[in-house]
Amino acid sequence: HLITLNEQNVHLNMAVSTTSIRAPSVTPGPQTLPLQKLFLQLASSASLSSTSAAVNRGWLQLTQQHLRAQEEEDGEKEKRSDDLPISLDLTFHLLREVLEMARAEQVSQQVENNRKMMDNFGK
Amino acid sequence: MSVSLRTHLLLFLVSLSSRMGFSRYIQDVGESEEYGFRRPLRCLDMLSIEGHFTFVAAQPQLACAAFIISDPDEVVVLELNDVNIDCSSGDFIKMFDGWVLKGEKFPSAVDHPLPVHERYTDFCSSTAPRTSSRSSQNVAMIFFSIHSPGNGFTLTVRKLHNPFPCNIMSQTPEGSFTVVIPHERKNCSFSIIYPVELRVTQLSLGQAKNNDLSPQAEVRSGCSASGDFVELLGGNGVDTSKMVPIADLCFSHSGLSHVRIGCDNSVVRLVSSGNYVNRVSFQYRLLENNELPTRRENSLDNFCTVE
Repeated sequence: HLITLNEQNVHLNMAVSTTSIRAPSVTPGPQTLPLQKLFLQLASSASLSSTSAAVNRGWLQLTQQHLRAQEEEDGEKEKRSDDLPISLDLTFHLLREVLEMARAEQVSQQVENNRKMMDNFGK
Repeated sequence: MSVSLRTHLLLFLVSLSSRMGFSRYIQDVGESEEYGFRRPLRCLDMLSIEGHFTFVAAQPQLACAAFIISDPDEVVVLELNDVNIDCSSGDFIKMFDGWVLKGEKFPSAVDHPLPVHERYTDFCSSTAPRTSSRSSQNVAMIFFSIHSPGNGFTLTVRKLHNPFPCNIMSQTPEGSFTVVIPHERKNCSFSIIYPVELRVTQLSLGQAKNNDLSPQAEVRSGCSASGDFVELLGGNGVDTSKMVPIADLCFSHSGLSHVRIGCDNSVVRLVSSGNYVNRVSFQYRLLENNELPTRRENSLDNFCTVE
């Protein structure tokens, strides 16, 4: 079955930097570039035996519909945020979803490897 | 041609054709080639297998990240190949030694061997491009931003065995593990990003005479004075230094065979002075919704429930 998630305010906190990142003694608030209408579509793979195709069909399809960025403000933020750490705003729920999909892919890959091994043994 | 030879030939042809068909099937989702597994990398992705993952921007992709996780006794090596980005126009690829979520880092700055700025590997570094990074624990991340369609890169993920894992993110909501710190002054956290029931099954700290749990020993309240102890933490972020201590175990425990941590993140943290070989073994399983501890009156609003 299909699970549809609407994530309104997933943020990637970015520091546009080509210099080394200073280790702050007190972590400042990371600069945020909000992603609007980030749409995640997941299909749970109920059966791990359904192979990689099911994992792929059920995988994350990230559609970034709109990124709000003000160029002048970005330029000023870029100067201030050269040393700010980069981060990703993601809920634990979404993190677990992608983690579980990765595990399904791992199992599927192991199934494929086992199949190849058996094929080689059968030769 | 004999019957048996024809049979063998027929079976051989059948196996060939089925394999070819299956290969086409695999090609849609990821290929296991001679040089490793290969599939496209998504803007938001989680990688738990070795292989080559290629990202090509179909449109400007300015905020992408991929989490990488391996088994607890492994570390990950990330390599960038076929990089086609324009650093001068704001493109970047940064690898991070750990995970960063909502501004919080795992492992925390306190528990990680490197300072924060050394945990980032920036491809667009002002000096030579840095294309490889090896993690200190079983998790790593990569952040990337690409303005021009058609630009991209390939990320190669490899895993290496880690004989003394410290700071582990569990891939599963249930399992068991033993954290060992052999004569090192450091702290190691085992993080489970699920609400779990946790059972400490074996504890060997400091000058413990044996590894058996002594049911008669008392639990010392507050182990901070001891240089060697285990903390059970709960919280709603990944930074263990910002989590609330649920229990401390200094020497042995009685009456604390298990604890239910109804938090987004449940952590077992072993603090070691370096004077001894410390070890803690535990089991954990996912708490179902109806098993989550109920919130008591007058409890902290933003603290998850424990019992």
